[in-house]
Amino acid sequence: MNYTFKWSVLWSGQSGQWLLQGLVTTLELSALAWVLAVALGILSGALRTVPFRPLRWGATFYVEFFRNVPLLVWMFFWYFGVPPLLPRVAQDWVFNHGAEFWAGTIALGVYHGARMSEVIRSGIGAIPRTQFEASVAMGLTTFQAYRLVILPVALRLIVPPGTNESLNLLKNSSVALTISVAELTFQTRQIETYTAKAIEALTAGTLIYLVLCLSIATIMARVERHYAIPGLISRAKAG
Amino acid sequence: MTRILALVLTLAVALTATPALAQDTLEKIRSTGALTIGTRTGSPPFAYVNKNNEWVGFSIDLVEQLIKPEVEKAVGKAIKVEKKESTPPTRIPLLSSNSVDLIAGTMTDTPQRRETVDFSLTFFYTGAQFLVKKGSPIKGVNDIAGKRIASQQASTNAKILREKYPQAQLREFPDQPAAFQALLQGQVDAFTNDGIQLAGLKSKAPNPGDWEIVGDFYSEEPYGMAMRKGDAKFKAAVDAGLKKGFESGKYFEIYDKWFGPKGELPYPMTPQVKAYLLKQIGK
Repeated sequence: MNYTFKWSVLWSGQSGQWLLQGLVTTLELSALAWVLAVALGILSGALRTVPFRPLRWGATFYVEFFRNVPLLVWMFFWYFGVPPLLPRVAQDWVFNHGAEFWAGTIALGVYHGARMSEVIRSGIGAIPRTQFEASVAMGLTTFQAYRLVILPVALRLIVPPGTNESLNLLKNSSVALTISVAELTFQTRQIETYTAKAIEALTAGTLIYLVLCLSIATIMARVERHYAIPGLISRAKAG
Repeated sequence: MTRILALVLTLAVALTATPALAQDTLEKIRSTGALTIGTRTGSPPFAYVNKNNEWVGFSIDLVEQLIKPEVEKAVGKAIKVEKKESTPPTRIPLLSSNSVDLIAGTMTDTPQRRETVDFSLTFFYTGAQFLVKKGSPIKGVNDIAGKRIASQQASTNAKILREKYPQAQLREFPDQPAAFQALLQGQVDAFTNDGIQLAGLKSKAPNPGDWEIVGDFYSEEPYGMAMRKGDAKFKAAVDAGLKKGFESGKYFEIYDKWFGPKGELPYPMTPQVKAYLLKQIGK
């Protein structure tokens, strides 16, 4: 067959502008969702290890419920399922003020929060129980022991799996196009609509995601080295 | 860094090389014994999954009853028609990668697309309109400023609205069911698509009487079947099938089956459309 490549479609017309807009939307969506995911992850990850049982149950329910349903379903849930619960006036207001974007952010953040929670729980699990006991013996309350001793150590331990999860979040932001968020993948399709050159557009999208993820991975590798606790992360010297 | 660069280049080369594997479509059909079409699952009555879970429709009938016999004649043996789901964003890549041989759904024949794929004779003619709740202030394309309008991603309608009516708030969904759901729930004020497709969706809505299709056609949408570019022998077989259908009247029988008074979606053919279709074969 004859498929003629025409890479110029990527910089002629409005393509460059669309890709840039898509990139900005992807970054905004991912950054906000990441903040939400980390906050929910730390909270629920810590709650899953506390001595008080009902709190553990609540956190376990959140994690298992949200991580075991596909992200696509959560996108539809937050976009189609939640707004009808609001009064009509509020619905109209939300629909006129970027409901798609916020539904996408919440879906992504809450879903990845559940996954992040497991990462943080495993970090806490890696800290010897005696550290918690020693903190309490020194007169700290449970909350203080978590805030001052357990979490600071756990967060430094989980940088590598945390990076992995963050990259997943960034790439999963593309699912938001199903609820009409004009992010990067959406814009590559847009270029395809205008030019009928799908392979070129998809390649551009692929390269942008690749560069984005590689940059984040590089930065995080530095963070990891900088915050590594000697004796707890063996890669500290090797890396 | 050099290694990463090498990896990226390898990837680029791989992407460039794969679709260039030349293959004659008729040759491929002869060796596999199957004509693979890319079609839709949710675009009644052109191609959809019906209540009995059968994958049927007007476009599929055209392929099975008009085009298949001509292709069989060209390859000299009996073949079967295999169906794959293709959506607007995936259909050209599916075709380019040899996953499907013919797009038989609801694809509009446009000059831009013609640079990448070839189109058969036009087999349906429609134009873009709006589906709105009964009594909506939207009566046509001139009333959409500031309104939230749903459209299908990568469709010709979305493109026209973005270019000519930028005041509208466009919301693009990957498929019709999602866009229609957004209309049902009020996320958007109107859903724009080709008139015939809106008629199909309306007839499938829980309460068809609550919805109406408004506005004159603000675009021209001649539907064609797309195939890989430059494969003249295959295109000749596809066109011959449609041409014979127009000549013998078989095409109009199939039209009647789906769009006639007793069809899935009554949509009588206007004399202008009939003349347009027949003009293609010089009548």
